[in-house]
Amino acid sequence: MAEPALKEESREIFDEGLNRGIEKLTSEKIEQVINAVLEDETGARLKVYVDTCVHCGLCSEACHFYVSFREPRFSPAGKVKQTLWEMLKKKGKVSPEFIRRASEIASTECNLCKRCSMYCPFGIDVAYLMLVVRRICHKLGVTPQYIQDTAHSHSATFNQMWVKDDEWIDTLMWQEEEAQDEIPDLRIPLDKEGADVFYSVIGPEPKFRAQLIYQAAVIMDAAGINWTMPATPGWDNSDMCMYTGDNEMMGRLKKAHFESAMRLKAKRIVMGECGHAFRSIYDMGNRWLAWQMPPIPVTHAIEFYYELFREGKLKIARKYETPVTLHDPCNIVRGRGLHEMARYVVNEVCEEFVEMHPNREHNFCCSAGGGVINCGPPFRNKRVEGNKAKADQLFDAKARGAKTLIAPCHNCHGGLEDIIHHYGLGLELKFLGDIIYECMEKGQGSEM
Amino acid sequence: MKKKRLAAYIAVSVFVSVFAVISGFSQEDVTTVHDSAFRRMMRPAVRFLHDDHNEKAEIEECSVCHHSYDAMGRKLEDESSEDMACSECHTLKNVDDPVPLIRVYHLQCKGCHLEKNAGPVMCGECHAN
Amino acid sequence: MQTLYNFVSGPLVWLSFMIFIGGSLYRLISMAVLAKKKDPLVYVYMDWYYALRSIFHWIIPFGSENMKKRPVMTLVTFVFHICLIGIPIFLFAHVILWEEAWNISWWFISDPVADIMTLAVIASCIFFLVRRLVLPEVRYLTSYSDFVILAIVAVPFITGFWAYHQWFGYRLMLILHILSGEIMLAAIPFTRLSHALFFPVTRGYMGSEFGAVKNAKDW
Repeated sequence: MAEPALKEESREIFDEGLNRGIEKLTSEKIEQVINAVLEDETGARLKVYVDTCVHCGLCSEACHFYVSFREPRFSPAGKVKQTLWEMLKKKGKVSPEFIRRASEIASTECNLCKRCSMYCPFGIDVAYLMLVVRRICHKLGVTPQYIQDTAHSHSATFNQMWVKDDEWIDTLMWQEEEAQDEIPDLRIPLDKEGADVFYSVIGPEPKFRAQLIYQAAVIMDAAGINWTMPATPGWDNSDMCMYTGDNEMMGRLKKAHFESAMRLKAKRIVMGECGHAFRSIYDMGNRWLAWQMPPIPVTHAIEFYYELFREGKLKIARKYETPVTLHDPCNIVRGRGLHEMARYVVNEVCEEFVEMHPNREHNFCCSAGGGVINCGPPFRNKRVEGNKAKADQLFDAKARGAKTLIAPCHNCHGGLEDIIHHYGLGLELKFLGDIIYECMEKGQGSEM
Repeated sequence: MKKKRLAAYIAVSVFVSVFAVISGFSQEDVTTVHDSAFRRMMRPAVRFLHDDHNEKAEIEECSVCHHSYDAMGRKLEDESSEDMACSECHTLKNVDDPVPLIRVYHLQCKGCHLEKNAGPVMCGECHAN
Repeated sequence: MQTLYNFVSGPLVWLSFMIFIGGSLYRLISMAVLAKKKDPLVYVYMDWYYALRSIFHWIIPFGSENMKKRPVMTLVTFVFHICLIGIPIFLFAHVILWEEAWNISWWFISDPVADIMTLAVIASCIFFLVRRLVLPEVRYLTSYSDFVILAIVAVPFITGFWAYHQWFGYRLMLILHILSGEIMLAAIPFTRLSHALFFPVTRGYMGSEFGAVKNAKDW
């Protein structure tokens, strides 16, 4: 028996958050919320961006979704057309179904990676425009369920993964104990005042990747760093509220984070290998709190490793032999320019480094960032198939000898893992910290 | 074949030269506005039938167009300058820059046409190809 | 015809320049005021050095990655914009009109060169039109107004070319030329042609964000 042809509507991805979200909407509510956000929260930037776009389509090639699908609706300007242009043109008089689609586009078809701002001759910030759409959808209560759950976790626990306060401390002590098998006098100093380094991680680290905390502790120990981790909420530097458009909650999270570092009178915050958390602390959260730059210096892991190697605090016992390639995460490369430091570190610890192309600021996004991977399984296939561009790029690096892929960012890690599996690329995926931990001289720091 | 063509060229050149010389001396036959101060022509010369124009425009006094000024810049009402080229007074500071002299001609012709709301004013109406 | 010519070459010129200059100032100032009120961060993060650095890379042919990736589009875009701005200002006939009216003049392009440049503008407009119709990602973004804007830009050059060569209907063409030029000028502040006004602002702001805050290049 022949299968019935796929109907347009049956291809629609079912998402509880989106589908149930729009059930409660009325056209009055939609109109009121859209106009309130546009009127109260946006101004010259949005207006100029919309008026200046000459519909030239030159942004298309910047977007991995477009490059992979070759469908105009996935081009950066195409996404703005389907969302904001319509909202503006109809002065907010759009249907609940439109809002559903707008939320899906802004939350799951755009990683806010800002690559298109480097391809648009006018530097139009499409990521900003997509965040405005997400903000509208947030205020209408139409956000994909999985990411909304993490946002709920943020507001209930101040961490992303429903980690309870005692579980957090317990995890740190557990990792300390584990590491002491290797380095007997290693400590993970909890809530220590006046440390040079306040080390923060994202919620998923204690939840799924506790060994990263272990590794960080070994690195801190070997480098002889005076460091601490907080024992209170505020330890999590991640921020999915920034991506759902829940700006108020983003502000509260960053405030808790900055304040826990300041309460401990730490000299600076050093954070693990995460991109979006860096964006939240360094770029967006601080701004919401009216800090032009973060109130306390913020150092990303890459920059921190770079310092440790430059200053000779970390030494490599034996370089990593397998040829590696490096994925430049958008939030710390387009967002902080750490690409050269990353290469310095890679060359310090690895024998052979193969560049992928394009690279540095022009690297393709992993398609997981911007909260897209956090929208969960319903959108997984679209995310992975929407990044064939990345698979091609990785395959090319592999063809030139790369066997290990370094992704110094959690979201990138998740996204690239899916891409490697889906496209059968057979690359081994590692954090920079994994390789440093594997190759470094351990335990001598405490003797210093 | 070549000789024939050469002869034709010479004949035309001679004719044109003679015509030009004659027209320089005889007011009655002015058909184009020409001023040797223009080194190169940016536009076709303006076809201008002196007597027809004046008849149509009802101009009797030469000095209406061929004006004359004294050294102090005062207009001399009863003197005229029909035996002079415009460029004799309206000299060019820079011979390669004809624009100021062009302005003088344009103001003289187009200025009057605009004022009287009669006669051509569009570029190509005078400088017809 | 004469009266019509006098009207389009007199009062309408004043009107179009007033709309152009006044409108441009209004748009820029009102946006600056709105930004002060609603997007004060623009002022906080705007950085002259990085703004100019970015603008510089984007006004130099092949100064950005995207330009290198699309050599034909880059070439056409630069030729188009240079001719589009250059011809109206430096055309001999226009310089003469300025001289006549204000006794000011400047360097001009020779007519044969201007002729070629005009053809380049017209050809570029055809290129943009074809691109808009043929490339799916551009057609998807296209609305009716995009064709109108393209026409607003193309018509002054087509009619100007026609009038210069004094083909049939010279007088009408010249009047249409002046009129369409005035429409284009007046349309700049109030249509997407305003990208001419806002380019330095949007590019400069993105350059500042990338350069001063994010320590990255944006080209």
